[in-house]
Amino acid sequence: MILTGSAIVQARKNGALVIEPFESANIGPNSYDFRLGNRCKTYRSSILDTHKMNEVDEFIIPEDGLVLCPRKIYLVNTLETMGSTEYVPIIKGRSSIGRLGLFINITADLIDIGSINQWTLQLHCVAPVRIYPGMLIGQVTFWKVHGRVEFYNGKYSRKPSPVESLAFLDANV
Amino acid sequence: MDNEPLYGSGSFLMILSKSAILAAVDAGDINIDPFDPQALNPNSYNFRLGPQLLEWSAAQHEFVPVAFPGTGFLLHADRLYLGSTLEYIGSRRYAMLLLGRSSIGRLGLFVNISADLGHTGSLGQWTLELRVVQPLRIYPGQNVGQISFWVTSGVPHSYAGRYKFDVGPLPSKHNFSLERQ
Repeated sequence: MILTGSAIVQARKNGALVIEPFESANIGPNSYDFRLGNRCKTYRSSILDTHKMNEVDEFIIPEDGLVLCPRKIYLVNTLETMGSTEYVPIIKGRSSIGRLGLFINITADLIDIGSINQWTLQLHCVAPVRIYPGMLIGQVTFWKVHGRVEFYNGKYSRKPSPVESLAFLDANV
Repeated sequence: MDNEPLYGSGSFLMILSKSAILAAVDAGDINIDPFDPQALNPNSYNFRLGPQLLEWSAAQHEFVPVAFPGTGFLLHADRLYLGSTLEYIGSRRYAMLLLGRSSIGRLGLFVNISADLGHTGSLGQWTLELRVVQPLRIYPGQNVGQISFWVTSGVPHSYAGRYKFDVGPLPSKHNFSLERQ
């Protein structure tokens, strides 16, 4: 079951989920609209490798925005710290953003339960598009869980967002 | 809670937790073969990339197999590839959603193209629609995506679609195909 906007507000009051900072104006019928942070990472090499550490450059997105280029991945933090110990968050783009051809994630929309962080967005555009720090960019939905809950304690825990891919750590197991 | 009756219990459209997935595998309500409990996440199961890879050939106007050695294969941007899950995955009881892993999404690899719903009753190696933003080297057998399982509402309708018991990557069965470039 998906939480309604009022259930999200209630669950936040009860401490079952975190959204900080929180603006009641950003509550939707079944989601909360979150904003884009200003820290961005891009990969230094144009050719990437899932078994290797891919070096990144980090920079701050200026107030007057950044034009994204197709064929490049931009990792940017969410402005809000979000997460839940009771519900599973699933993130979506906002339709206003999708209509501009901007992906905010790349087929990985499920946030592990217990992962309370600024999340890392995987920005990718179809056509060049200018983005601004603090803009409303995506929405988070919260889903009820069937079965006993165990929390995430993986390789992205407690790292300041955005975090580049750590897929290479899997290659050694 | 893992064993509570699902129909009429009010627990519809909930996502299964790790312990509920494990209980469903034990009960035969979820099939994952080969199954490794280490691949369970809090609300999903990590699947691996199978050893076969197809690439769309504009010249031949069809998907053609490409060599996919242990040293990997470099996916190019603006091309479409089909891979498959290494595991046979399915469920007679739950709906399934296929998604990427964040480690892979952070490298710009799509594992499907808008079609993420696995029908209740289907079982097979799932075809993955692979597309990259930047060129990316991938390897057979690597962790590449996850599947989540969802409690459904209503009487289960056994899926009898065209892709049941798939083995390896299967091109679209639409009788039209991709345009020549």
